[in-house]
Amino acid sequence: MTLHLSILLWLPAAAGLLGLFAGRAARWVTLAGALLALAFSIALIADFDTSAKGLQYVTDQTWIAQLGIHYKLGVDGLNLFLLVLTTLLFAASVLWSGLDRVERPGQFFFWLGLAETAVLGALLAQDLALFVVFFDLMLIPFFFLTGSWGGPGRVPAVLKLVIYTLVGSLLMLTAAIATAVLAPGQGTTFVLSELAHRTLGTGSQEWIFLCFAAAFLVKMPAFPLHGWMPDGYRAMPMPVLAVFSGVLSKVAAYGFLRIALPLFPQAAAHYQELLLLIALATILYGSVLAFTTTNTRLILGYSSMAQLGFITLGIFALRPEGAQGAVIQAVNHGLVVAPAFFICALLAARAGGSEDLRDMGGIAARAPVLAALFLIVALANLAMPGSSNFVGEFLILLGVFNAKIVISIVAFTGVVLASVYTLRLFIRSMHNRVGPNVVSRDITVSDGLVLVPLVAVILAFALYPQLALHKGEATITRSIQPAAQAAAQPQIAATP
Amino acid sequence: MSATTAAWLVLACPLAGTVVNALGFRVLRGRAPGWIGTLAIAAAFAFAVVAFFALQSRGPEQRQLVSSLWDYASIKQTTGVDARLSILVDPLSVLMILVVTGVSMLIHLYSVAYMGGDRGYTRFFAYLNFFVFSMLLLVLAGNFFLLIVGWAFVGAASYLLISFWYRRTTATRAGIKAFVVNVVGDAGLVLGTFFIFRHSGTLDFLGTFHGVGRDFASHQGALTAGLILLLVGAFAKSAQVPLHTWLPDAMEGPTPVSALIHAATMVTAGVYLIARMHPLFEHAPAAADVGAIVGCLTLLIAGTIGLVVTDLKRVIAYSTMSQIGYMVMAVSAGAYVAGLFHLMTHAFFKALLFMAAGSLIGAMAGEQSLDRMSGFKRAMPFTFGCFVVGGLSLAGVPPFSGFFSKDEILFIVGHQGGWHWILYAAGYVGALLTAVYTWRMIFRAFYGPPCPEAAELEAGHLHHAEVHRNPATGEEEDTDVGFPGPEHHIAEREPSMKVAMGILAVLASVGGFLQVPGVTNALDHFLEPTFADSRFNQSPSDPGLVTAGLVLGAVLGLLGIAIAYVVWVRRPGTSARLQQRFAFLHRLFVNKWYFDELNEILVVRPFMWIGRFGQQTFERVFVNGALVGGTTGLVKATSAAVRAAQNGFLRAYAALLMLGLVGVGFYFLLQAA
Repeated sequence: MTLHLSILLWLPAAAGLLGLFAGRAARWVTLAGALLALAFSIALIADFDTSAKGLQYVTDQTWIAQLGIHYKLGVDGLNLFLLVLTTLLFAASVLWSGLDRVERPGQFFFWLGLAETAVLGALLAQDLALFVVFFDLMLIPFFFLTGSWGGPGRVPAVLKLVIYTLVGSLLMLTAAIATAVLAPGQGTTFVLSELAHRTLGTGSQEWIFLCFAAAFLVKMPAFPLHGWMPDGYRAMPMPVLAVFSGVLSKVAAYGFLRIALPLFPQAAAHYQELLLLIALATILYGSVLAFTTTNTRLILGYSSMAQLGFITLGIFALRPEGAQGAVIQAVNHGLVVAPAFFICALLAARAGGSEDLRDMGGIAARAPVLAALFLIVALANLAMPGSSNFVGEFLILLGVFNAKIVISIVAFTGVVLASVYTLRLFIRSMHNRVGPNVVSRDITVSDGLVLVPLVAVILAFALYPQLALHKGEATITRSIQPAAQAAAQPQIAATP
Repeated sequence: MSATTAAWLVLACPLAGTVVNALGFRVLRGRAPGWIGTLAIAAAFAFAVVAFFALQSRGPEQRQLVSSLWDYASIKQTTGVDARLSILVDPLSVLMILVVTGVSMLIHLYSVAYMGGDRGYTRFFAYLNFFVFSMLLLVLAGNFFLLIVGWAFVGAASYLLISFWYRRTTATRAGIKAFVVNVVGDAGLVLGTFFIFRHSGTLDFLGTFHGVGRDFASHQGALTAGLILLLVGAFAKSAQVPLHTWLPDAMEGPTPVSALIHAATMVTAGVYLIARMHPLFEHAPAAADVGAIVGCLTLLIAGTIGLVVTDLKRVIAYSTMSQIGYMVMAVSAGAYVAGLFHLMTHAFFKALLFMAAGSLIGAMAGEQSLDRMSGFKRAMPFTFGCFVVGGLSLAGVPPFSGFFSKDEILFIVGHQGGWHWILYAAGYVGALLTAVYTWRMIFRAFYGPPCPEAAELEAGHLHHAEVHRNPATGEEEDTDVGFPGPEHHIAEREPSMKVAMGILAVLASVGGFLQVPGVTNALDHFLEPTFADSRFNQSPSDPGLVTAGLVLGAVLGLLGIAIAYVVWVRRPGTSARLQQRFAFLHRLFVNKWYFDELNEILVVRPFMWIGRFGQQTFERVFVNGALVGGTTGLVKATSAAVRAAQNGFLRAYAALLMLGLVGVGFYFLLQAA
């Protein structure tokens, strides 16, 4: 079966564009596009050849011949499940917004569709220039979605977000150009598989690696580059935030595995400890902030920060189990955080519009279904053994344990703290005495339409995480191999 | 039916019960959820019996069976991680599933009536079934990964049940405390697994055990470190010092939950873990010694606190801590069968004591303080009888079950000689304490002049509170949901409670005859295949020490009861005089040796302080100020201008940007062609 990735890539944007002219039917047109993309990505999983060593479904066209830039897309174990996560969360978000009342729906859904295409593009791109284009394109729709449909304080928030990510993007752009220009060999090329063979000298590798790392760490965000996060999270509309937190941060983690590690293996090994320490600081800082803030969005925001810290930790263990854990954890975290944000919206609706924990409490009694769904999401978020999140965390920590034992032991603090802030969120919203303005009721059918499938996916993954591990094993191991070797023999990595 | 099929069905039954009750919460009426839950566990018990006979029908060397369903989280080729969904069925796990399902079934039966008036009746049984499922998963797990899953499920289920009355702040606080302490234990378990896996290269139990001599020959330190970390997990779950502080607070849960946590599930997990890991512990004696010493300390500390606590359920809770201390000490010192024997008899009499306490609390309309109770002997003869049987068994008076099991532990520990004599002596001191605090509780509740509630009950009327108050804080209850309910139930009036307690009373009386020194050793014989490779396998014979131990145990038990009788019945003022005389000790015990305060100062406050520092200083000054100084300034300057022309500006900008993008894309497309 031939599956054309270009169809998957442009389908959501095309649907969004169509929706712009569809008037009141905009949401249904965009939803159809998102659902088709979801179906497409599920077909990819079913059709994916596990035994294949390299990229599958490759589309490769010369785009700008003079610069060696190709329009090259491909799927392997690294991005397969992230694609499904993206299409799933966008479908959920479009459905949620479609069932809600959105002002100027045509434009809203257009931006949402474009955002999906941008994310899919960044995940599918097998050319460095193409990756940079899509990575930067991701920012634009979120700029408008937050700026026009966001809550109070959206203008400063969105400017802050733009400035932060723009600095990162510029660094990345410079680094990408430098990579292509400095790479040895005949003519310039931006194609990743070509670049992987043209290893740079260690000196250039190191500064280029740092530029990429900065861009990715801002996007995640990692401590101390998270300055845009609190304001940004407070201002975004909830369905937009669900995909932003669920998907965009993962693209940054994915960037490490797709680009930074294969292209700059010596630098990755050189800066391994630095990145591990940043990850560790992110875990601990995110965790302690998550249990001292009372804003539900920020609890989830800081909790995401901590989880992204774990993912970075797994990547820079530079071992197969760590990288596999990181990839599966990226999917798991997206699956958990998106429904968590939807639930936050439902909680706020029951607490007189307030998103503050101090105004909540006692919601569970009149909302047993909501309480049950929230409980499952909460337990998965704290990486309860038996959830797929635990499998990811187990592999990540095992990888770090085998690489740097002390960092692994300290990281366990983050595991314990996760249970503190997650249960605190659950208890103080659902349990204890009824809050002053709380009027509780159970979820409606349309809420359930979004939440129940997402929770069902969490449960299915908890029962059989092997699916993702099995499909990813070969390619993930291959993408970290050069860096792993460099880390194992730091002395041999001399420049020619 | 093969033993493994039966074991899978043992797991399936409670899970099915959970699902039915969870999904049917709108449909199920009356006491139906209770009967569904009880039936699920009864079916599991039946399958456990089938597994028992299927296993016994095999030759002794073929009684370790492994059965796998599918790969759960395996990446064998590149990392060696082999986490399959597999169970290990051997005499040890079969003994555990028999005890767990058997006692849980009776607790479910009791709860059918006891929880009758609660608004969360269906939810309660869904949780209760899930709790039993988790424990069964824990004891049947065939590898470290699945063990951790069961281990954590038990923690989660206990959280759900401890904070079952979730409108009570005391209950939710106790719940989160239990959960977090248990997650600390989980973390220890995972880290310990890492240490072991690093050298064994497999997560499978039998594979690890068979290779232990080879894999760890030159990695003794790693094995010891790994096992001590596993012990951290065991201490957290089994409420051993210093990770015990959640257990007394867990009394916030409904009484059947206390019975379940203390008798059949949860706290025995640590004992099981050490017994299961015995091939590893025997290769790392230092780790085993840590277990034995901590167990010994716990049994003494808990015993002293039990002497002064005034909350009825907390007295029994500290007694559990102390008894688990005996078991942990036993299995760490190589007395595996004795430890498991005590685990079993303790399950019988502790479940019985909690059920009887529940009945008494029902008569007091939710009140739990011993200070308020007295003279219930005539009003509640059945409950009193149960208390007496449970109390005699706990105090170790012959021929009740606790007598034989406790004695066997101390005999084997003492027989090892050397510094184990200290443990031996401490064990007998603990035995005396046990008898005193147990009978203090019974004498205070049942003797003396009847309190108003007892008098009311004697006149044929069950006391009902006008205003429902949280017994811990005196706060008025939220009567909407999440409190014990306006109805109360006592054993004297509820047949299902009476049946459950009656069966347990019989078991607590005669359960000890499974292992009588010099007469029978049925349990030794049954567990033989599991411990065949142990160097402690040959049960020592030393008739002199056995006899001395039996006599000493019986004398101390009776002496303790006598002391309690004198202090709290014959000369009522004695207790107050003793408190004055030993004021320092009394303060220490009443404040529970200050473990809570220590935990607060060493752990909770530093984290809160860092969090507040991050929130108030770091985020505000550093991240938003210095690091983004430029950004913030820029934002402030531009935001005013933007706000003015916001909508128009944004839309125009959007259109312009899109146009630009399309243009650029178009240009390059033409170039490419």
